[in-house]
Amino acid sequence: MLARIPPQTLRIFALLLVLFTVLLFFSTQVPNYLNGRLFNRISSSVAIMALIACGQTLVIITRNIDLSIGSIVGFVAFATGSLITNNPDIQPLVLATYSILLGACFGVINGLLVAYARIPSIIVTLGTMALFRSALVEYSDAKSITTNNLPTWLVEFPNTQLFNIGTFQFRAAFVVAVLVVIAVHIALTRLRPARKLYAVGSNPEAAEMAGINTKLVVFFAFCLAGALAGLAGFMFLARFGTITVVAGLGFELKSVASAVVGGVNIFGGSGTVIGALIGAILVDLIDMSLVRWQLVSEFWREAVLGTLILLSVAADAILMRRLIKLRVSREKKTTKSEVLS
Amino acid sequence: MTHFTKLTTAAALMLSTIAGSAWADGHAVSLTAGEEINMVLLPKFLGILVFDQANEGAQEAHAELGNTGDLLFVGPTPENSTAGQIEIMTTSATQGQGVVMISNNAGDQIVPSAVAAQAAGTRVVTWDSPIPSGEGEDVFVAQVDFGSMGIVMADMAHSILGGSGQMAVLSATPDASNQNAWIAAMEIALENEKYANIELVDIVYGDDQAEVSYNRALSLVDQYPDLGVIMSPTTVGIQAAAKAMQDEGLCDQVRVSGLGLPSEMVSYTMNGCAPEFALWDFRDLGYLTYYTAYGLASGQMTGDIGETFSAGRMGDFTIDEDPGRPGSARILMGPFTVYNSENVEAASN
Repeated sequence: MLARIPPQTLRIFALLLVLFTVLLFFSTQVPNYLNGRLFNRISSSVAIMALIACGQTLVIITRNIDLSIGSIVGFVAFATGSLITNNPDIQPLVLATYSILLGACFGVINGLLVAYARIPSIIVTLGTMALFRSALVEYSDAKSITTNNLPTWLVEFPNTQLFNIGTFQFRAAFVVAVLVVIAVHIALTRLRPARKLYAVGSNPEAAEMAGINTKLVVFFAFCLAGALAGLAGFMFLARFGTITVVAGLGFELKSVASAVVGGVNIFGGSGTVIGALIGAILVDLIDMSLVRWQLVSEFWREAVLGTLILLSVAADAILMRRLIKLRVSREKKTTKSEVLS
Repeated sequence: MTHFTKLTTAAALMLSTIAGSAWADGHAVSLTAGEEINMVLLPKFLGILVFDQANEGAQEAHAELGNTGDLLFVGPTPENSTAGQIEIMTTSATQGQGVVMISNNAGDQIVPSAVAAQAAGTRVVTWDSPIPSGEGEDVFVAQVDFGSMGIVMADMAHSILGGSGQMAVLSATPDASNQNAWIAAMEIALENEKYANIELVDIVYGDDQAEVSYNRALSLVDQYPDLGVIMSPTTVGIQAAAKAMQDEGLCDQVRVSGLGLPSEMVSYTMNGCAPEFALWDFRDLGYLTYYTAYGLASGQMTGDIGETFSAGRMGDFTIDEDPGRPGSARILMGPFTVYNSENVEAASN
């Protein structure tokens, strides 16, 4: 049976196993831990990071990185908030489209500089991270967006319960994020144009030879990441209501962490957005559990979080290797028995 | 502002101290206008409303004193706060600015650059958040007496909890010197018999970011099922916590209090999620800081403990020794306002 499962799926099983272990461990350490509330907390909080990690994954697959993604989230959240504050009658879909397009515009800047000006993405996005953040500081004029100026539909949207399974509430923001991730996943596995991301990431020269316009592919990866960050900015606004210039600060590194924990190869060419989603859940779960773990003081939390992320990546890698080995030995056995018969 | 000011006992006491010392001394230094002094107002970082309000206050004083020099409002970007503050401090000294007014977010890491600035003839006045060791600082303009801040927080918790229950603190960053001083003062206040039935169960940090604070507040509720109040001495934390309680329908169970901006908190105060919170006027803080800095940099004031000067519309102030940082000079502004459903709407506009 193992032979039929593709390695990417195996990886997701390994991740789920790590997730389960982390849950078990903290349930022995933290009182009132395993219950529906925990699910509701994690699912509402991960909805935003899932979208960002998904965008980050698209970029990483093409051998690039987007460090400006947190600043894009912050800027879009603020700009969307200011638009709806001044024009409260805008239709929900129009507003969401505005956020996505605005995010994509930032993605276009990154994409042009990386793909066509041939500047390494880490340098481009390090620069645009500061640029977009400063643009936000300038644009905001030290005002903040406040919840009471936002329309009710927007504020209530993320916490609307779509359906319940026991005490597990499935809220709109989480469901939307998961649907987006699944849609991107299907595109990446089934659609030819989306498959090009992997081609460019695993071997740019070969992709070029095969007639793929690698520049265009990289450009599109950044645009899509920007668009997803824009959607995340919309969700950020809806969830937190109050937006200041620090909105989305540090999201870039958290999204890279989520992607890498989720099994996305930092050197490009392989990884899934489903993996990144589970990675985001795992990072969030560890972070949230650590706050409640009395043994760890505030000053050590970041260090412990870093260690646990490393451990879970290592555990995931070891599990993967075991599973593949197991599969190879089984394959050998079956081929042997086939030969014998 | 006074017509909706509800002074707590502590604040009233504080006021009388200020007034008492000012009158006792008799002659206050009154500053001569029209000097040329280049000044830098350096907030923790740019883009936060309260710091902009402080700038408005400083600009008002700048115009009033007819300073022919420049008043620059410069600050680091949010992700670069500590390093950026040190850099601006160093640059200001090199440029020969007369005085730097800083809300310190760099802890004692700012000390070497502040000492160097002083050696180069630039005065260093802190406001909002001081230099913890007091080194490299001429004087700290304190918004409130840090000790009475602790009593006010304990009092708000007391009134919200009805005298007994569990309280947790949601602070900014673990190394924010003003927040730490207030929490320490509150812990001391809680030892008083009046608060014997209030239990401080935990202190967590939301890094002054909405999403972190929001998640921390919910973690507190999950961790302590009997929690009655979350005390957040930071404007970001208090509103994130109130939003979290409202979103999860927990307002009947857990209330939020601390330091907040009326414009951001009005809806939570009216719906009972955050029935009481406190804040001082940041415009006044900027105004007073400017007067102090102008006096020092123009040589009209010495900055010694015991000196009294008059700060325009705000009246007379005396430099005293900071009780929390022995040997350091402090000017105490006070008072602050406690907001509730009666006065918050008027203040939010």
